Amino acid sequence: MRSKLLTFLLVLLFALPFALLGLLAVSENWRFPAVLPPGYSLDPLRSLVAADNDLLAGLGRSLLLAGTVAVVATTGGFGLARAVARSRWAARWEAASYLPYALPPVLLAVLIQPFIIRLHLSGSVGGVLLGLLLVALPFATLLLRSCWSRQATEYEQLARTLGCTPQQALRRVLLPLAWPLLRTTLFQTFLLAWFDFGLTNVLSVGKVRTLTVQVFTYVGEANAPLAAVASLLLLLPPALLLLANKSALLRKP
Amino acid sequence: MKTTNAFLLNLYGLLVLGLPLAGLGYALLGSVGLAGPLAGGFTGEYWRALGTGSGLPYAALYSVWVAVASVGLSVAVALALVLLAQPTLRRPAVVGLLYVPLLMPSLVVGFYLFQLLSRAGWLSRVSVGLGLTGSLQGFPELVQDGAGVGIILAHVLLSFPFLTLLFQALYQETRLEEYRQLTLTLGASAGQFRRSVAVPVLLRRAAPALLLSFIATLGAYDIPLLLGRPYPQMLSVYIATRLQRFDLHDLPAAYLAGFLVAGVLLGLIAVLLRLTRRARLL
Repeated sequence: MRSKLLTFLLVLLFALPFALLGLLAVSENWRFPAVLPPGYSLDPLRSLVAADNDLLAGLGRSLLLAGTVAVVATTGGFGLARAVARSRWAARWEAASYLPYALPPVLLAVLIQPFIIRLHLSGSVGGVLLGLLLVALPFATLLLRSCWSRQATEYEQLARTLGCTPQQALRRVLLPLAWPLLRTTLFQTFLLAWFDFGLTNVLSVGKVRTLTVQVFTYVGEANAPLAAVASLLLLLPPALLLLANKSALLRKP
Repeated sequence: MKTTNAFLLNLYGLLVLGLPLAGLGYALLGSVGLAGPLAGGFTGEYWRALGTGSGLPYAALYSVWVAVASVGLSVAVALALVLLAQPTLRRPAVVGLLYVPLLMPSLVVGFYLFQLLSRAGWLSRVSVGLGLTGSLQGFPELVQDGAGVGIILAHVLLSFPFLTLLFQALYQETRLEEYRQLTLTLGASAGQFRRSVAVPVLLRRAAPALLLSFIATLGAYDIPLLLGRPYPQMLSVYIATRLQRFDLHDLPAAYLAGFLVAGVLLGLIAVLLRLTRRARLL
């Protein structure tokens, strides 16, 4: 009985955000004190498919940015984790990797902003990408450090002894061994960039309108239906990722 | 190969150490009038103003309060679930439910809680519908309030499921169920097992993750921006707001705040690294 009650409460707690955001997205003239909307409209959802829709452009921009960050950080992190593992100062490099990952993204953005301005990257996608990589790359490096254990190195050496070229050893031995962790890193760095608002907002000075920036803009304009549609769009990729791989979301460096 | 590794690490060092440290250096120079658009020579004016102005210390105290309350409440809920509802937590459907908040960007949680808890929000409407309150003013102020209730609730909603999953994993990893049966056999009560065995073991093992949660809440930006008031502000909002003002005279004070907050957070991270190493040894 207690177990059922607890399960019900958890379902209620976690389903309510989706229900309320869904209602807001299709509501029309929903004003206080009405508990439910007086009318429903699919206009905000229908307008999504219009060619000049800002939300759809934001979705594309966010997907492109988060996808690029995920691929670059995972690829770079894999190579860097190897370099760190083989360095004489591995522990120091590991500690250094916590520096940008440890600071709140908005504070990091505030600190590096003068240099982003000097590099003429302020307000550009390149500036936001650099800022996001500054957080995602050390995160990926820390997460992927276990790919380069002594066992992995021994497997690599064995493959080379048996006649593999370095490229073959990488493709046939190391990458298959590291694949589960690479997939996790790809997911997590994607989400890191996908969820970001503070760093993007500060570095882009509001010009790179990703979905999170749009949610904030719509909230500021008191446009609850569009803010709700943008919020639901933000929930979509993580939901698909959760369905694809639950454990990939929980692993921490 | 060695040259490639060295080149890669130098480039990496330039990005992850060089850029943030240069930012910290620039913030320090900016706070003493040696850098920034209005740099006019060395001055200790902004550091001296720290002792007289209440903005930064108040923002720091407010952030600490929010972080302590959020992490404390999340830990309490997660521990209660793990220690009092073990059979429920072994059901795969319930575990699946606990993953749901991991899908939610904090900005979306902030927007959702604003729509739910504000005086014109959904709970207030239900309360009017049930006759519990008669008007907007009759409903308690739960968001954009002085005590940060909305901000704390948002952080609890985001972190208690993660901590529950963490504590549950630790409960199984440290074989606490077997210890429970052992302590009960030796005559202890279930409450004594929870207080004297389970809670200390779980908290000690989870200490690095708890400190990380504390640091993340301390530097939170999205949620306090939506659910907080213009005064008091949490640290990240306080700093970002001052840097984005049109009045350039606010910049040195904002650089000073950024420098100090980053310094404190880096100190906490050093403690975290030490705790992580100790936890690995346990």
